[in-house]
Order: sequence, then C-alpha cells, then structure tokens
Amino acid sequence: MADKNGKHGNASSILPDRATRGIGLEELVHVFWVSGMSCDGCSIAFAGASNPSMEQLQWGTVPGVPKMVLHHPMFSEDAGDDFIEPYRQAAAGTLGAPYIVVLEGSVPDDESFPTADGFFSSMGAGGFGPTPGGDQPNRVTEWLYRLAPGAIASIAIGTCATWGGIPAAAGNITGSMSLMDYLGKDYRSTAGVPVINVPGCAPVGDNFSETVITLLLWLRGVGYPPVFDELGRPAWMFDQTVHRHCPKAGYYEEGVFADEPGDNQCLVEIGCWGPVVQCNIVERGAQNHMGGCMAAGGACIGCTMPGFPDKYAPFYKAPPGSAISGGISKVYGGAIRRLRRMSMKTGNREPLWDNAEEIPSPWAAAKGPRTNTDKFAAYFYKKLQYNGSTHHGKRYKKQPLPKSRDILTQMGVDHSQSVDVLREKARSREEI
Amino acid sequence: MRFTPSPSPTAAQPVGGTRHVDFNPVTRVAGGLAFHTVIDHDRREVVESAAKATLFRGYENILQGRDFRDAIFVSSRACGACGSSHAAASASALEMAMDIQAPPMAIAVRNLLLAIENLYSLPHHLFVLAGPDFSEPTVRATNPELWERAQETLAAGAHTHGYARISDIMTALTRVTGQLYAEALHMARIAREGYVLMGGKYPHPQTTVPGGISSTVDTSDMNVVMLRVTPFFDYSRKAVAVWNDLIDFFYEANPRYREVGARAPNMIDLGHWDDPWAYDASYDGASRWGEARWATPGALVDGKLVTSDLQRLHTGIEESVEHSFYEDWSRGGGEPMSADNLGNRLSPNHPWNKSTIPAPGSPNVNGKYSWATAARWDRQAMESGSYARLWITAVANKSPHRLFCEPTGQGMRLSIPQASLPATELEWNVPQSWGAFERNRARAYSFVHAALVSYDMVLVCLDLLRKGEGQISTHYKAPKGSSLGVGFGGAPRGLVSHHIALDGGEIEDYQIVTHGTFNASPRDSSGPGPMEEAVTGTPLLNSPYNESYIDVLRAIRSFDPCMSCAAH
Repeated sequence: MADKNGKHGNASSILPDRATRGIGLEELVHVFWVSGMSCDGCSIAFAGASNPSMEQLQWGTVPGVPKMVLHHPMFSEDAGDDFIEPYRQAAAGTLGAPYIVVLEGSVPDDESFPTADGFFSSMGAGGFGPTPGGDQPNRVTEWLYRLAPGAIASIAIGTCATWGGIPAAAGNITGSMSLMDYLGKDYRSTAGVPVINVPGCAPVGDNFSETVITLLLWLRGVGYPPVFDELGRPAWMFDQTVHRHCPKAGYYEEGVFADEPGDNQCLVEIGCWGPVVQCNIVERGAQNHMGGCMAAGGACIGCTMPGFPDKYAPFYKAPPGSAISGGISKVYGGAIRRLRRMSMKTGNREPLWDNAEEIPSPWAAAKGPRTNTDKFAAYFYKKLQYNGSTHHGKRYKKQPLPKSRDILTQMGVDHSQSVDVLREKARSREEI
Repeated sequence: MRFTPSPSPTAAQPVGGTRHVDFNPVTRVAGGLAFHTVIDHDRREVVESAAKATLFRGYENILQGRDFRDAIFVSSRACGACGSSHAAASASALEMAMDIQAPPMAIAVRNLLLAIENLYSLPHHLFVLAGPDFSEPTVRATNPELWERAQETLAAGAHTHGYARISDIMTALTRVTGQLYAEALHMARIAREGYVLMGGKYPHPQTTVPGGISSTVDTSDMNVVMLRVTPFFDYSRKAVAVWNDLIDFFYEANPRYREVGARAPNMIDLGHWDDPWAYDASYDGASRWGEARWATPGALVDGKLVTSDLQRLHTGIEESVEHSFYEDWSRGGGEPMSADNLGNRLSPNHPWNKSTIPAPGSPNVNGKYSWATAARWDRQAMESGSYARLWITAVANKSPHRLFCEPTGQGMRLSIPQASLPATELEWNVPQSWGAFERNRARAYSFVHAALVSYDMVLVCLDLLRKGEGQISTHYKAPKGSSLGVGFGGAPRGLVSHHIALDGGEIEDYQIVTHGTFNASPRDSSGPGPMEEAVTGTPLLNSPYNESYIDVLRAIRSFDPCMSCAAH
C-alpha cells in the first residue's frame, strides 16, 4: 500500500535480474489457461481487454511482445485429447517453448482425498503422462502442481485465484483456496518470479493483459522491472484506494452522502467500502475507460481484496467505520462546502457583470445584482488571491462597458414580436 | 478434433466399429463440460451419449445462512458469462420474498442491461465459440469437397455482409485471424461499454440492489448507451445474413446436415424483460405480469405452445440427482411443501423443496456422472436458449410490446430502423426441422430481436425521464418472518430462475436453475437430457479419412452450453 503521498516502496526487489531470464521468448510464448473453481468471468474480462486485446496478443502484433499461443478451454480450436496434448507436453517438459500458467478460479482441496473419490474441478482425462490412458478425470489441482514449476510465470487472475474469493467463503464445502495458498511461499517460476496476483471479481480486463505484456517486455529486456506489492499485485494498479480516484470522493470531502441507491452523492452510507479498498476501476474504467462501479452509482463491495467476500458483507450496508469517518466529514465537509459555494458565486460571473451589476441570463439559476455581503466577501477574497502578486483584475474598473450590449433592446425590438418583424428591422438597418 | 490439411484417401485408414469417444473437455463452451459418446463408425452415427459437468463450487451452500443483501452479489458470481442475468433474477426473488416493488425506471434500466448483455453474448457465441466450426481451416480439413463447393457458391446475402462467396464467409470465420471473429470481439466490447455505464462493471454488475438499481442515470449515460446500442441494427442483420447463407449452403450440399443435433423442439422459457408498469414482483400476479413481458414465457412440446402461464411453468420445474454427484435430499427428513400458497401442487423435487448435498465420486455413465442436476419440466427434457425465447414469443403472440417486433403466430417480424444500412424488415419463421444449424440460425435472429428490444428500452427510459418518473430505487426494511421468493429471469443463453427461502433477514435455502441445468442435464429415470438427445443420432458427415467428429461438436456447441450456470 502506498504512503500518504501515494509513493510506494520497491517491493519487487525480489524479482531476479532479467538479463538471464528472457531467453527463449524471442518468437512465441504459450499460455496455459487453467480453470479451477471459476465462473469464467475472468475469461470474459480478458476477452473484453483492449490494452492490449486478446486477439492482438495472439496475432503477435505488439512490437517486442512474443506472439501468444493461447490454450484456453473457451477459446481454443481443438477439443478433447488434442486440446489437452500441449498441457501434457508442458507437464512432461517436452513442449520446447516458454509458457505462462494462468489460473482462473480458486483451488479446491481435491488433493486431500484419494483420486478414486472424485473431484470438484477436473479438466481432461486419462492421467498426466505423455499419452492418455483410461477415462479417469484429471484434477485441475494436479495440472497446477505439474505445470507451475516449469512456467516462466504463474499468474492468478481474479479474486478466486488470487485470494480464494467466493468459493472459499464461509460455508464452502470444497476447501477452496488461492493459488498462493496452494503453491506455497517458496514457489518461484523458472524466471524466478513468485505468483503474480491480478485480483478483481471480475477483474478489469486491461489490468490482466497489461500485466502480461509488462512482464513479457521486461523479460525481453524492454522497459523497467514491473513493481509488485507485498501480495504480488501490480503496484501501479493496486497501490491506491479506489476512493482516491473516485468521481464521488469529492462528495465525501464536502460531507454529502447518498440516502438511497441511485442518489448521486458519495455512496459510503449505502454500503461503499471504497475508502479502504485497493482497486483502480474508477480511474481505468471497466471497459475502454467507461463505467467503473462508483462512476455508475454502484457501491464498492471490496471485490479486489483478500478479505472478499466475508469481510465486506453484508453488502450494501454501511461499513462500521463510516459512522465515525462519515460523521467527521459531515462536520468539516459542511464548512468547506459553504466556503466553496462562496468562491463559486464569484467564479460564475463575468467581470463585465460585476461592473454592470447585472446578469443578462434569463435562466432560472442566475442571480441578480451582488449583495453587500457578496461585495464584502469578494474584497477579502481578492486580497488573498492577489497577495504577493499583481492585481490585473483592477484594470476592469477602468474598462468601459461594451456599447452594443443588449443590442435587441437598443434596436427597439419588442421581444414578443414575431421573427418576421425582427428580420424586417434587421433588413432596414442594413439599408441605412 | 485435430485438423490437418486435406488428407489423401491413402493417408489414413477410416476408423471402424463401435467405440467409445470422449470429448474431455469440450472446448469453446462456457465452463467445464465433457461429453462421453459411443459411436458406430460403420453406420457413421452416435448411438449413445452422456453430458458431464466437470465443476462444482457450492454457491447454493455458501448462500445459506448469509444476510439477504448478499444474495444478489454472491449468486451473480455463479456465472461470469451471464452474471447480469443472475443478479436480476436474484433481485426479483428477493423482492417477491420481501414484498417490495422496484419503480418503473429501475425495471426499465434492468431490462436495458439484460438486453445489452445479449448484444455481447450472442455474437460471442455465433462467431467466437461456434463460428470456427464452419471456418476455412476446419471445413478444408474435415470436408474438402465442401470447401471446393464453397469456392464456387455465391453468397445471397453479399449486399448485407459483404462476402461474395461462401468460401469468403468461411475464411472470415477463421479463429483469431478471421474478420468475423475479430469483429465479434470488437462489437462485444462496444456492447459492454454501454453496459458498464449503468451496470458499473461486467461480467458481475455492481448496481443491482433489492428494490431497484443504484445506477445514477443521467443524460450523458442515456446518450452514450443509445449510441452503443444502435450499431447493432446493422451488425445483427449482418449476422443473420451470414448464418442464413452458411446454413443454406450446408443443407444444399447435404440435406443430412438437418440431422446434426436434431431433437424434437421441446423448449421452455420464463419470458424476459418485464413490463415496468405491469410487474409487481408478486407470486399471485405472476400469470398476469408474465404475459406482459417483452418476451413471453412458455413451454413448447413438439413445437406447440402448451402454456404461457408463469405459475404453471414454475410449479412444473423439478430437479433430480439420480446421475449427479449429490445425495438425494429427501432422505434428510423434513416434510416437503406439497403446494404453493395458491394451492398449485409442488413436487418434492421442486427447487423450493430441494437442498444441495454434494457427494463427489468417480464418474460412471451407468451411475453418477455429472455435477449438473437433471432439470425437467412437466417430467420432460426441455431445452432453453435465446431461440426458445424467440420461438415462444412468436407462437404465443401475446407480447403487448410491438414497436419493432411483431409476433405472427408462426414467426416474428423484426423491423430494423435505418442506421448505416437502410431500414428493413426481417422475418424469422418457425423452422421445418430442428437441429444444430437451426439453433444457430434462430440465435442469429434472436440477436436482431435483442438489438431491437435494447433500443426499445432506451426509448422507454427516455420516456420515463421525460415524464419525471426517474426514481430508481425503493426504501426497504430487513424482512421479518419466513418467506419464499422466486425470480423468473433470463440470460442470453436462456432461462434463469432463483428460488429463495428467507428466515427473517437470513437466507435459509437458495436454489438456482438455469438454461444450462436444463440443456446439459444428465439422464433422469425417464431418459436423457436435451444435449444428450441431440448428440445421440447425430451422423458423422465429415470425411472418414480424417475422423474429426466435427458434427458432434457442432451439435454440442449449438446449445451454447454454459456449465458455470448449469452446475454451481
């Protein structure tokens, strides 16, 4: 987590020197997508990414980034044993090319019971050897411990894979856990990298695809080492609270809160955890810089955090801390808001209007001449504004009012007259 | 499965005899699916099959004992391919149980989000998941004679889709590199831009709450959402033109393609897109407000409408676990509810009577082999999909919302407004035969339907805002006492229903039934599930010198299976 100035320490000093690690990545990189206790939402998120997109990576059209050969249950060409064959090769060490393992979904405790007793999550059948034999389902958990050690990187996508997520919530009977829990603290990829965690339920697609190419570019010797935080999150995405970039954070500052869903103000009192959740969705947007939970009016339920879901539930109920912090914000925010409204009152007037002491706008929002209190406040405001500087605004005092102001009245046009009469007047003016 | 360029007859010996062929996993579907088949290679057809869901996560168990407010956000995460539909169904179930009613604007925005979800999901299936099975590399390898023929066949819809020959369409369908493949990914992103402006994020939306929606809908949102919907007027009719040309080409080349994935058109849908003024979340009124939906609820048996009454559809749902990795819950004691509050009979296998007791084990096609339960309606295996929604709405002819979509009793007339292409009228008619190819064709038409409903819903929202009816949520109190609710929802892939039992503010039981639960059902005591029925009997029409089983895969994928929905 970043300090109060938004700076983060270099937590990725654990990363090895890349100079010796990028070997073999010149041409292509295989990606073995493994679905554990997943809903496929992370695959859908990846398909929605655009910086870079899933297809750009597979076309190999990003300079410096090796072409991605994607093995994915939802997107691959082949089915059955033909689809599984490259997984077998990677597990046996005969693939002959570098690969990344991506886990979507959490890891069930399937390894704790005998193989004959079944599985909660399986992919393929017939064992893990070079040739399939029999139709005993292959547990996803076993794919993971066979594939992860030979990978140049193991990336957990989404909150299930990064922190266990909903399948690991209270009441689960599958013993689900995260990839880090499953592989343990000592796991390193062949490039020396621990598990990389891109959380979110579902994650922002760009967060994942950007992590992939940042890592690959660094391993290829382009760019600086990516910075990961103390939990293996890309620090440049997750080191700030989502509140810091929230479009509604200003309401919090001024102490105004939504009473009901659909209200436009800060959502903390209807259950938003944004001030204490590390996420970038309102800054990056959910899709091509559009949307993002609070930007659309949705309260943050902490879905990027290791404590999700249980530490943020019940959802849409005010977080306990908000009673104190929100109460304080209402007091000082109320004062700040009133001062700001005063500044806005003068900012919403052309200097010309101050001189003329009238506003030509017929719209309901516009106010009439300034009161003495307004003038008094403006006097001290300017004193402060130009303190230690030159008061260019003084020149307005000598500025004459434009002569053609309110031209229609000067021309004697009755505004209730028809357009034809106005045109007639204009024409007679041209004749003069 | 493994495709190599056009093999010469001497390159391989055809496979003979009757053998087990397993597709584990079936790729290009959502979630974990494996298919076991027995194929007679001499008669060249599938003689036996079993659909296996290969993943269980325990959502129904995790939901038990949680606060009622968690239902929407936990249950939505059962499926990342159609999370929006689950969120909306869960909200409806809660509203029924809590006796609260979302205001019209909230219903209209939910409808709009649900409709836009189709605009990402349907092209995703047609061109990213199913499309590659009809692409140049696949057809060249599996049926070289069809590729020859495709190069000489002009495409009738060229003026709409821009591809002169059928072979050009096939090239464009190529996975990753094809134009139609890339365009579908691009257009899905356009739809999702519209979605996230009001839903916050996708797949799991952040703005669906009990009693309404928490979206802050302003003029810019309406403007940008409208501009994300209107490109689908042209794009969806292009999809229809592509699939019409492709399917007609296959049928002309070999009429037996009608037999791929064939089964009797027995279908169910719970309707979709509520009338904002008729819908009141009540169980008693479900028959009334159900028929006021944009898409009419209903059940088809052999293509004929049996009912369009939501209550009858609801009480006819049963789930059994004879071939699924669960224990029979009825042994757990407790007297099952024999009727709903209106006196309609409820089976002990109805979701309101069910509890989820997982029992993992080694799969055995004669015993337990799937994590999906066997969902049936009126004891029959029913399929569900966006095409079922189109078909039922068309033949029921009851939808009161006819601005762009006019049911005719035999089909659906779709009036597409002018966009880049001039305005036009398309008509989908009930097909003469029912199989994999017709599923895909009807899905393409349902894509046009969804685009028009999306736009209709933009107009409804604008109308409500114009009238000052922008209120989008209702104040509610934590529920007291025990209550039941059901949310009759819909996803791009078909029906979704959420069944909830509340004990005060706590969830006592939660059951999810979906299109996938119906489609990917294992056998029950009376017979196979819909996908099993469709795969059994599917002919092998590929070149025997390159045994690709492509038509088996086409049959499976034509259902657009979503296994995350099927087994949760």
